[in-house]
Amino acid sequence: MREDRTDLTVGQVVASAQYRITRENLVRYAGASGDFNPIHWSDRVAKSVGLPGVLAHGMLTMALAGRLLTDWLGDPAAVVEYGVRFSRPVVVPDDDEGVAVDVTGTVAELRDDGLVAVELDVRVDEQKVLTQARALTRPPGSHTGAGESS
Amino acid sequence: MAIDPSVVGRVYPPQPYEVSREKVREFAEAIGDPNPVYTETEAARQHGHQDVVAPPTFAMIPVMRGFELLMDDLGIEFARLVHVDQRFTYARPLVVGELVETTTTLDAIRQVGGNDLLTIRNEVRNAALDTHVCTAKATLLIRPEEESDA
Repeated sequence: MREDRTDLTVGQVVASAQYRITRENLVRYAGASGDFNPIHWSDRVAKSVGLPGVLAHGMLTMALAGRLLTDWLGDPAAVVEYGVRFSRPVVVPDDDEGVAVDVTGTVAELRDDGLVAVELDVRVDEQKVLTQARALTRPPGSHTGAGESS
Repeated sequence: MAIDPSVVGRVYPPQPYEVSREKVREFAEAIGDPNPVYTETEAARQHGHQDVVAPPTFAMIPVMRGFELLMDDLGIEFARLVHVDQRFTYARPLVVGELVETTTTLDAIRQVGGNDLLTIRNEVRNAALDTHVCTAKATLLIRPEEESDA
């Protein structure tokens, strides 16, 4: 059962957005995720282990890049696979601006099984913070039918 | 001291996790995602879901329970851990109200530059429905115990 993907071409940018991460976001994410590692909230601890400062949770950066996907797709059930490599730490300064994360999603492949391979480019200050950031999705607007019913 | 390779293949007992409506809302807010499928039953139903679903990387919360078990078993403190990569393969999103269980397997260990690299697999299932929800694969880098805080 192949979905209609005639709108998509390989190399096409499907979405692009900038997300900001502030210290407040880190506190919220720590509570929501249960990841209370102090390198994500204490300058003192971060410095003591040789880090340049408090770092964003890698999973928060992954979640923001994932948001680009689900905003494009509408339905999170359309995400079939999603993976990243945490290649560079994201330092979050203790100010109101925080740090800006730029995310761009590009069609990498239209597969024979109807799925779309999307490459995510995720950068802070022009430097990639996630590498091998890729997802496999159903095309946007396709009925995913969730399948969570008993 | 490196981790004894004989632990490869160890499978940790399923860890239960109940997906609650408020936790999903809190997580969506923490990643700044206003998609109503994470908060409103009606919006989720329009996409064919039974009820509110969780964002894709929410799956990390039940997966973390498995990590904790493994780290505890191997005597690794969280301060020595670096999350290298993370990948999820989804059969469907997590749905509020469901009880899932996560089974964790230590698939591989290799030594790189004095660090241990662990390959970990987590299978998240709904036992009552007998359905597979997602598979998570991660690489964790464990720094040696002797390392000073330089």
